[in-house]
Amino acid sequence: MFAIPVIVPVIMAVLVLFVPRLLVSRIALLSSAALILLYSAGVWCNWLPADAPQWLDGYFKLDAVGLLFLLIMSVVFAASAVYSLSYVKEHNLSARRQSFYTAAMLLFVAAMSGVILSNHLALLWVFVEATTLSSAVLINFEKNKSALEAAWKYVFICSVGIALAFVGIIILSMGSRAVGTLFFDDLYAGAALINPFWLKMAFAFILVGFGTKIGVAPIHAWLPDAHSEAPSPVSALLSGTLLNTALLGLIRVQKILLQAGLDDYSNNLILIVGFLSMFISAVFMMNIKNYKRMLAYSSIENMGILFIGLTMGSGGLFAAMLHTAAHSFTKAALFLTSGNIFTLYNSKRISDVHGLLRREPLTGWLWIFSALAIIGLPPFPIFISKFLLIKAFFENGSGWLSLPFFLIIVFVMFGMMRAVFTIAFNESGGGVSAAGRRLDVPAYLPQLCLLALLLGIGVSIPEHVRLLLQQAAGFLP
Amino acid sequence: MSDVLIILFGTMMLYVFAASRIEAFIKTLALQGLLLFLLVIIDIHEIVWINIAFLVLETLIIKAIAIPWFLLRTIRRNEIGREVEPYLSQFYSLIIASAIFVFAFVAAFWAARIEADIKPLYFGVSISMIIASLFLIVTRKRIITHILCFMMLENGIFLLSLSVANEMPMLVDLGVLLDLFVGVFLLVIFFNKIQSMYDGSHIDVLTALKD
Repeated sequence: MFAIPVIVPVIMAVLVLFVPRLLVSRIALLSSAALILLYSAGVWCNWLPADAPQWLDGYFKLDAVGLLFLLIMSVVFAASAVYSLSYVKEHNLSARRQSFYTAAMLLFVAAMSGVILSNHLALLWVFVEATTLSSAVLINFEKNKSALEAAWKYVFICSVGIALAFVGIIILSMGSRAVGTLFFDDLYAGAALINPFWLKMAFAFILVGFGTKIGVAPIHAWLPDAHSEAPSPVSALLSGTLLNTALLGLIRVQKILLQAGLDDYSNNLILIVGFLSMFISAVFMMNIKNYKRMLAYSSIENMGILFIGLTMGSGGLFAAMLHTAAHSFTKAALFLTSGNIFTLYNSKRISDVHGLLRREPLTGWLWIFSALAIIGLPPFPIFISKFLLIKAFFENGSGWLSLPFFLIIVFVMFGMMRAVFTIAFNESGGGVSAAGRRLDVPAYLPQLCLLALLLGIGVSIPEHVRLLLQQAAGFLP
Repeated sequence: MSDVLIILFGTMMLYVFAASRIEAFIKTLALQGLLLFLLVIIDIHEIVWINIAFLVLETLIIKAIAIPWFLLRTIRRNEIGREVEPYLSQFYSLIIASAIFVFAFVAAFWAARIEADIKPLYFGVSISMIIASLFLIVTRKRIITHILCFMMLENGIFLLSLSVANEMPMLVDLGVLLDLFVGVFLLVIFFNKIQSMYDGSHIDVLTALKD
C-alpha cells in the first residue's frame, strides 16, 4: 500500500508509453489520480496504515508534514488530471502525443511523491532532480520557440541549482561524520554532534539549491517563463505542487539546524529571502502584461510568505501550513481557469483579452473568485493564514515586520486585481461582441471543486483539518 | 600518486579556460573522467565487486566515454568549431581562474585546520573547479559550452564527494548517476532543438521571454 504514490504512476506511465491509445491514456491518468487521492485520504482518516514496510530499510517514511503535502499534491493532481481531459480535446492531440503527455505527467507526479516520502537527504535530492527532468519535457510540450526557451532555462538553471544543493549535502556529510548517515531521523537525533561551521555552510548551499526549485528570489528567473509557457494543467501542477515539495525538502533540512540550536542563523537567512521574494514579485506585478506570468509572480510572492511563516515560531508555522494548502488549491484553480481564457482568446497578453464576463460568464466568475481568493479576501483561507501570520509577528516580538509585509501585500493586490478586472470587465477592445462557446465540463469542474473546498476550509476550519495542520506544524520544534 | 593525478586534474581546468575549441573542451572532460576513474581505483581499500563495477560504470563508462562521445557527435553534426567571442577575453579569464585557485586553496587549508579529516588538495581543487565552472557559464555565450561547463561542475562535485570518507549508500549513488545522465541527455536534446529552431546557438537568441 505504502508504495502507491510512487509505484502506481510509474507503472501507468510505462503502460501508456507502450500502448499509445487515447482511452488507455485517459484511464491511466484518472485512475492514478484517484488511487493517490484515495490512498492519502485513507491514511489521513486512519483507514490505511502509514507505516513503511520493513524492506524499504527506512529510506521512505510518511510523517504528519509529509501527509499534509501528499494530500495537497493528490488534490491538485486530481484537479489537473480532470482538466487535462479538456486540454487534450481542445488541442486535438494525437494518440501518441497524448500518451507522451500522460506519461510525462505521471512520472512527474511519481517524482514528487518520492520527494515527499523520502527519509534520506540524498535520496530526496535524487527525487528533486527527477522532478526537474520529468517536468522539463512537459514545459516544452507545445513545441514553439518560447516554450523551448522556457524549458531550456528551467532545466539549466534548476540543474545547476540542484547541483549546488548536492555540494551542500556533501559538506553536511563532512561535518556529520559523528552521525555517519544522512537519514533524517539520525541527523535530527545527532544534530548536536554536527560541526556547526559545516552545518551552516551546508545550509547556505542547500537553501540556494532547493530555493531555486522553490522559486524564491533572487533565483526565481526560470519560474515566470516556465509557468507561463507550460500547458495550463502543467502550470497548475508546477505552481501547486512542485514548489511545495521542494519547500518540504528545505523544511526537513531546516529542522536539523533548529535541533542543533542554530535557529538565528537559519531563520535570518530564510526571512531575508522571503521578504526579498515578496518585494520582487510586487515590483514586477505593478506593470504586468501577461496574465500567466502574473500568476507566476504571485507564486513567488506566496513562497516568500511561506518562508516568512517558517521563521515565526509555532504560530507562524501553523499559518505557513495553512497557507501552503490554501495557495496550492487557489493557484491551481487560477492556472486552470487561465487555460480556459487562453483557449477562448488564444493570447496570453492582458491587452488582448477583453470582456471575459460577457463572452464566457462561468470562466469569468471563476477567474474573479479565484483571484479574490489568492489576494486573501475573507472568507477564503488565505485571509486567515495571512492574519495568523501577522499575529505571529507580534507574538515573536517582531511586530514591525507587519508593516512592510502589509505594504507589499497591498501593492501585489493592486497590481493583480487591476489585471484581473481588466480581463473580466473591460470591453473597450474590439471583437467582444461574439458570445463565446461553452467549453466541456472538465474545463470547469476542477476549479469549482477547488473553490468549494477553499470555502469549506475558510468559513470554518473543520476539526480534522485543523488537527492535521497542527500536527504538520509540530514538525519543526 | 593520487596527488599527481589531482594536480593534473586541476591543470586541465586552466587549459579549458585558455582553449577556445569546443572539441578540445570535450576531450578534456573525457580525460577528467579517466583521471577520476584512476583516483577511485587508487583509493579503493576493500574489494567488493559490485562497488568496483559500479564505480567503473560511473567514471570510466559514463563520464569518460559515453557522455563525451555523445557530445562530440552533437558538435560534429552541428558543425560547431569555436567559442564565439566570450564576454571576457581569454587572457582575463586565465587571470581570474588563477585567482579562483588561490582563493580555493586558501579556503581549503584554512578548512583543514578546523577539520583534521579534510585533504586540502582534494578540497581545494574541487572547490576551485565548482567556482570556475559557474564562472565559465556566466562568461561564455555558446549554449553547448554551458552544457560542457555543467559537466565540469559535476566532475568537481564528484571529486568533492571523493574527499569525504562518509560514503553514500549505493542506491543513492545510482540515483544521482541516473539523474546526471538523463540531465545531460535532455540538455543535448534541447540544444539540438534550439539549434534547428533558431539560426545560431548563442544564448543571445534566448531572450524572448522577459518582463
